[in-house]
Amino acid sequence: MRDQPQQPEGAIAGTGMGGAMDLGASEAVTLERTPGGPAGTGPAGRPRSLWSDAWRDLRRNPVFLLSALVILFLVFISLWPSAIASGSPLTCDLAKAQDGAAPGAPFGYDGQGCNVYTRTVYGARASVTVGLCATLGVALLGSVLGGLAGYFGGVWDSVLSRVTDIFFAIPVVLGGLVLLSVVTSNTVWPVVGFMVLLGWPQISRIARGAVITAKQNDYVQAARALGASDSRILLRHIAPNAVAPVIVVATIALGTYIALEATLSYLGVGLKPPSVSWGIDISAASPYIRNAPHALLWPAGALALTVLAFIMLGDAVRDALDPKLR
Amino acid sequence: MAPTTEPILEVSGLVKHYPLTRGVLFKKQIGAVKAVDGVDFTLHRGETLGIVGESGCGKSTVAKLLCSLERPTAGSIRFKGEDITGLSGRALKAVRRNIQMVFQDPYTSLNPRMTVGDIVGEPYDIHPEAAPKGERRRRVQELLDVVGLDPDYVNRYPHQFSGGQRQRIGIARGLALRPEVIVADEPVSALDVSVQAQVINLLDRLQSEFDLSYVFIAHDLSIVRHISDRVGVMYLGRIVEIGRDAEIYDHPTHPYTQALLSAVPVPDPEARAQRERIILTGDVPSPTAIPSGCRFRTRCWKAQRRCAQEVPALAVPEAFRGTAGPAAHASACHFAQEAAPVPPAPPGERRLNGNGPG
Amino acid sequence: MLLDVRDLHVEFRTRDGVAHAVNGVNFAVDAGETLAVLGESGSGKSVTAQAVMGILDVPPGRITAGRILFRGQDLLKLREQERRRVRGAGIAMIFQDALSALNPVLSVGDQLGEMFVVHRGMSRKDARARAVDLMDRVRIPAAAQRVRDYPHQFSGGMRQRIMIAMALSLEPALIIADEPTTALDVTVQAQVMELLAELQREYRMGLILITHDLGVVADVADRIAVMYAGKIVESAPVRDLYKAPAHPYTRGLLDSVPRLDRKGQELYAIKGLPPNLMRVPPGCSFHPRCPMAQDVCRTDEPPLYPVSDGRGSACHFWRECLHGPDH
Repeated sequence: MRDQPQQPEGAIAGTGMGGAMDLGASEAVTLERTPGGPAGTGPAGRPRSLWSDAWRDLRRNPVFLLSALVILFLVFISLWPSAIASGSPLTCDLAKAQDGAAPGAPFGYDGQGCNVYTRTVYGARASVTVGLCATLGVALLGSVLGGLAGYFGGVWDSVLSRVTDIFFAIPVVLGGLVLLSVVTSNTVWPVVGFMVLLGWPQISRIARGAVITAKQNDYVQAARALGASDSRILLRHIAPNAVAPVIVVATIALGTYIALEATLSYLGVGLKPPSVSWGIDISAASPYIRNAPHALLWPAGALALTVLAFIMLGDAVRDALDPKLR
Repeated sequence: MAPTTEPILEVSGLVKHYPLTRGVLFKKQIGAVKAVDGVDFTLHRGETLGIVGESGCGKSTVAKLLCSLERPTAGSIRFKGEDITGLSGRALKAVRRNIQMVFQDPYTSLNPRMTVGDIVGEPYDIHPEAAPKGERRRRVQELLDVVGLDPDYVNRYPHQFSGGQRQRIGIARGLALRPEVIVADEPVSALDVSVQAQVINLLDRLQSEFDLSYVFIAHDLSIVRHISDRVGVMYLGRIVEIGRDAEIYDHPTHPYTQALLSAVPVPDPEARAQRERIILTGDVPSPTAIPSGCRFRTRCWKAQRRCAQEVPALAVPEAFRGTAGPAAHASACHFAQEAAPVPPAPPGERRLNGNGPG
Repeated sequence: MLLDVRDLHVEFRTRDGVAHAVNGVNFAVDAGETLAVLGESGSGKSVTAQAVMGILDVPPGRITAGRILFRGQDLLKLREQERRRVRGAGIAMIFQDALSALNPVLSVGDQLGEMFVVHRGMSRKDARARAVDLMDRVRIPAAAQRVRDYPHQFSGGMRQRIMIAMALSLEPALIIADEPTTALDVTVQAQVMELLAELQREYRMGLILITHDLGVVADVADRIAVMYAGKIVESAPVRDLYKAPAHPYTRGLLDSVPRLDRKGQELYAIKGLPPNLMRVPPGCSFHPRCPMAQDVCRTDEPPLYPVSDGRGSACHFWRECLHGPDH
């Protein structure tokens, strides 16, 4: 009466076969029993869960390790920029304006004669803080509001949908000019707050859709039939199955936020000098792109690397949370 | 098995209407989908009640109502005498331990991001009193063994299994709390023929092993006949005929049952010529606009004026009242007549027994 | 012979390896004849149909060997343009899911008429008239009014009729119906099968019915080919096969179906699962599940042994299987 594995080291027929409906894709099964294999824990070893399996998976994933390393490094220089850069980013010498690489200034000098290396290192703090905090804020607020609206539906769902529509109608740059111009504080927080305020509807809409899709699956009904509480259903059954699109959009949005900070700074409503950020430097360097491209390329390159690292990290995490891809 | 034991589930006047609304924020009701529109039946201990019907007849909604996944608009569901339709909170949770469900689609009924051990063990997380913590893992492995899966598979994920094996996992989850009633909604219709038989046999075996009562919902009349002691035929939100399996299959008196049975293809080319097909015309009316009187009258070849005016009650028809024959079972038709749309099976049944049932 | 398929091989190249979906299939269909191709998921029955129709997804699919002779002409040697002409006018196909096979934003009249505009160069107006005529022929009530309706406005059975009308529009010599009634309710299923059989008689078409339903086959087919793991394991006139199957797989299938006309005890269940097409077992591909398997089955692949006139079985022990349930 027992379903014995058909193939000793079988593998499931390709799920990627698309239209080839009649292949044994659904009926063949992976049931390898080789002890010690990547998924083989010998007969019923320690109980495993999605998170522990995802962590095992991530630890072996070079993409994850590389991107995590880059991000750790960025966090490190945001906290202690003086550890790798000597001097102050605000000490500039107009005589050296637009000069190329020199000892103590491997990236050369910008249009104001500031050391590009030092400024790029010190700029990480503002940019990474804006990017990370705005993304976290947007992702949290958006997925909680959107997720709850999608799960419970009803009047709040309708209200939330209309509210997101209104927010979508606000032009970002114009809104920034209006809202941030009244702010006097020259820290990153008003900028972060503004981004969260305008950014959450995007994630909320995606989270709502993902939750509604996940909610319709029979396993949610099965959990309800067992007597599971709403919080259990949301956290154990819906969240892990709805998180993938949120991760993808949030990691891509992170780059947009860093760039938006630059735009706002350029318009004079974001961070203002003497604050240092990649955004400020990129916009300051853009008029001299022909004469001193290095002043633009280094902060822009740092920005691109940061965004790439977060996107790769998001990708790796999303894949690790999908058992089908193991 | 004759239904002489005490009733475990009594359903009466069960109604579920889904309101149809219009408007963005302020919704106005403009009608209702009458998915279930007055269903009565009784399930006895140890018995299997089959419910058959075509898509849209409301049979799946009945399953959801029985498992308290939906709240009925009206009517009652009594479990061992207690009405469970109004329960909530702790009392509802306690009842859920006794009524469990097996789902149709083995691909969406298991959370793809949980291991098999977590899926089958989840009932114990929700009802910690059902098994002491240290014992849960062993129980899960026992359950996997009972449904014919290797207990070592606890750390695998659903996608690593075939449809039939997934359905076994779903059954193991349903059994975890030792329920008394299992509601199975099309449990084998997504499976291949050869795997279907394995799962049906498993359900059969578990019934006697765990003393279960089944409500078996399906559109496949042959499978329902195979597994059921009694059968109810649903049409447009109501049971139109109900009785013991032989009463329904060999002596149906409701024209819809007769048409349904005559339409089922029988795997026997010799029967092709002998069978008289009743081909129904038209489609099932929309559940938002149910015909007056008898709801089957728009497709019925016997329909008369009375059928449009008077709702036929689900009771033994007058013509058979007082007789003891197999035609004397409940049938909601004003003009109930016995017919035999399924020719009796040829004698000399051929069965392959080379290897015993798998 | 209208259609003659010889030694057809189809494989799919995927990330995980090569899946051998069809491994040397032979069959033929005559005008006015109904051939049922019966199999479970993964048996290769739909892939065979797609290969004949020329709608296989290439890649990942690939026809590695074989010939598909339609009226004596090898379809696999034709250029895509010539092939397209055969499709629709020569061979037409009916799909399982009529809702997704119809375009939701075009009225059914436009979709039916398009065939005449594209293949016959008719004017829109004439095409519309032909569409109404076709809908009449598949017995859609009030065709003249409903021709402007969209697919979602029809019921499942009506949509399947529209699919049939579409397949019939250019009066093909052969129709391939892939699970045409699987998605439908029994009462509607009966209506549609009846219609299909009637139209087939009327036009003397060949019909290939791809299905997993032994009941439907018994109802309409003349001959049957049972597929397992990409091969035809038994091919026979329908009556002979149901009376006494000559392959243990066929026999197991027949015995594992619950019957409407009798209440069995325990169902016979074929043990195990259909094979993974990446690793089809050596010898007879059914041997790991077969109650009659012997050593020879594990090593030697059985050819299609001739059982009687027009009948074959790919089992070393077809005689034992054919005679008597005890073995």
